Amino acid sequence: MYGKGLKPLSIATVAMLAVSLSLVFFYAPLDADQGFIQKIFYVHVPLAIVALVGFIIGGIFAIAHLRTNNRKWDAYSYVSIHISVIFGVAVLITGAIWAKASWGHWWVWDEPTLVSFLIVFLLYATYYPFRYAIEDRDRQARYASVFAVTAGAFVPLNFMAVRMAQSLVHPRTFATAEGGMPGEMMLAFLCMLVAIGLLWTTLVKFELTAKSASGQVKRLRRALDAPVAGGSSRIAPEVN
Amino acid sequence: MLELAALLPLAAPALPLDEAGKYVAGAYIVFMVLLVVYVAIMAAKLGRIERELRDVAEIAERNKDDQAAPGREAEEAAPRV
Repeated sequence: MYGKGLKPLSIATVAMLAVSLSLVFFYAPLDADQGFIQKIFYVHVPLAIVALVGFIIGGIFAIAHLRTNNRKWDAYSYVSIHISVIFGVAVLITGAIWAKASWGHWWVWDEPTLVSFLIVFLLYATYYPFRYAIEDRDRQARYASVFAVTAGAFVPLNFMAVRMAQSLVHPRTFATAEGGMPGEMMLAFLCMLVAIGLLWTTLVKFELTAKSASGQVKRLRRALDAPVAGGSSRIAPEVN
Repeated sequence: MLELAALLPLAAPALPLDEAGKYVAGAYIVFMVLLVVYVAIMAAKLGRIERELRDVAEIAERNKDDQAAPGREAEEAAPRV
């Protein structure tokens, strides 16, 4: 059920990534200020946007779980947050590389954009031990959903606070006061954003399909009255 | 015009391509490596699911054989004269 449409989605993701990367390196012009180093922007910013949106989507799925008490939504919420955390790691590393090349430092502590993203990332990093600390599966799912809703609401608030703050060195992606991005750059950026969004969706579907398959095997074992080999993870929810 | 072009590198403090290239390559390699590591972990998980499925199939086949031959068991258990 979860694997439905995974193959065309994977093909679309690979094709979109290939097109976007071609646009980034062969079509988008070099930035007048930063030169070639600005190419990091096309992977760093879409990853950050998709990761933050993924956290919010995780919160929306958690609301659906709390409203319906259907464990399927808890699994969706968990997987959304899980993939977004992985994207968050990529954002932090690519951002640090860009910072080193542009500013000469791997990290700048007085820059609100960097620190706020780190706070959001660390907040979601606590999701796993929080989930793991609860033995009872129903309580675990309920508490994890409450966490996902609260943290998901924090993400846009945090984003708005950063937008309103006086930035020292970090540029604004959609700034229009100083002319914004040229059309070719914007096209490459938007294609990359769509590609990364597709990648996130594919990975979420892939993870859900694997969890579903694992859940079905465990169900089958229980039906055959045989012991479950290897045990099951207490962090990850099962999907049947 | 040529004078203006000569001043352009001073106005644009960009890193030269040979130096910027390694940072750009580093950023994209990090992205690709994370993706490959994730896919490798998922492949290992799928391998485990496949093994579990094989075990379940064996158990199911054994149960089926046991159910299909109850007479043989009774025959074996019966005292010989």
